[in-house]
Amino acid sequence: MSDRLTQLQDAVDQLAHQMVATFYYVERHHGYEVLGPKDEVRDIQEDPKKKPIDDYPPEKFQEGILELARDLIVKEQQIEYLISSLPGLTNSERDQEQSIKDLEEELKVAEAQRLEAVEEKDEVLSKLDQVLRSVRRP
Amino acid sequence: MADQALESASSTFPDPPPFWRDFTTDKVERMESLRTRYADQTGLDSSTIIRVPDVPEDLVNLQPPAEPADGKWRLFGMELTLKDELQSLESGGVERLAPSEEELEGKHIDRAFVLKRLAKSLLLNFLELMGVMGIAPEQGADKIQDIRTLLLNLHHILNEYRPHQAREQLIALMQDQLDAKRAETAAVRAVVDKAKRVLEGLGSIELPADGSVSTPEIGARPINSVQAKNHGRVHDELRRARGRDAWGALDRDFS
Repeated sequence: MSDRLTQLQDAVDQLAHQMVATFYYVERHHGYEVLGPKDEVRDIQEDPKKKPIDDYPPEKFQEGILELARDLIVKEQQIEYLISSLPGLTNSERDQEQSIKDLEEELKVAEAQRLEAVEEKDEVLSKLDQVLRSVRRP
Repeated sequence: MADQALESASSTFPDPPPFWRDFTTDKVERMESLRTRYADQTGLDSSTIIRVPDVPEDLVNLQPPAEPADGKWRLFGMELTLKDELQSLESGGVERLAPSEEELEGKHIDRAFVLKRLAKSLLLNFLELMGVMGIAPEQGADKIQDIRTLLLNLHHILNEYRPHQAREQLIALMQDQLDAKRAETAAVRAVVDKAKRVLEGLGSIELPADGSVSTPEIGARPINSVQAKNHGRVHDELRRARGRDAWGALDRDFS
């Protein structure tokens, strides 16, 4: 799990990739259109491998486009969501420095308290030890 | 010579740089003495000195070269700079679409807004590209250039954001540490309190005055060394007597 910024950058790259893939799909699988009364679709190449395009039936092509377009929009929404969840959007650099300093102070205090508690623990431990040693077996 | 060149060209690893021959024992020693003398003169710790100025000609290769004066050097065909900073969009020949870091003055909310705007523009530009390609494919290159600019701007802004995120992570890390420390302190205190209560509880138990619960001949623990010796002797005798009893019982059983 990488940090948000890397995630975001990856998402942007993925969006770009999706765009390329979508472009390729449209370019490769579109059908022929007759634009004037004299136009006709000529398909000289019989070998399907040598055809300039691999045209899908219109319904299938439309479905594909719809799906790809939806994916693009979903990706874009993901990017926007990631942007809104970037850490510390509301903090300025000064705020950050201030909170780092505050935390440093608090850490020092907490460390002192911890050492105090550990000392007390050792004291009680030695006392308990003493008591246990002096216990007589019934 | 030609053979040698051929050999070095075909070997897996390149030859070491020619100055490796300069690292003779006496030269290294002289360098070391120069270094210590320089350390004494400047009052610095000799381990922290990287370069000694004004060394003799034959010793120059024994210390790392000076930093490049203009702060730039080339490595594997790439230009590197001493100051490792983010290349600005302008110097990369890309049009800037959003206000720069200085203009924002740390207002990151605006930056999020800018980012979202860029993301939306990206989508719109792609739609436009598809439209343009359908009508006038020769104009598609311009649109592609626009998308490229948008993408580069997005990445650049995100990279500008990295120091901010690093600080944010530091804050989160410190907060975690603080919480862990406080939790530990609380846990230690809880255990200490429990132990204290146990001690108090022990102190309040009253032993029967006649000593009926204690069996001094075994249970009494030695307090000082003399008692310890006595105790040990008593203990030994007791043990031997018990052993005899046990063997006697066994003999009776098997006879």
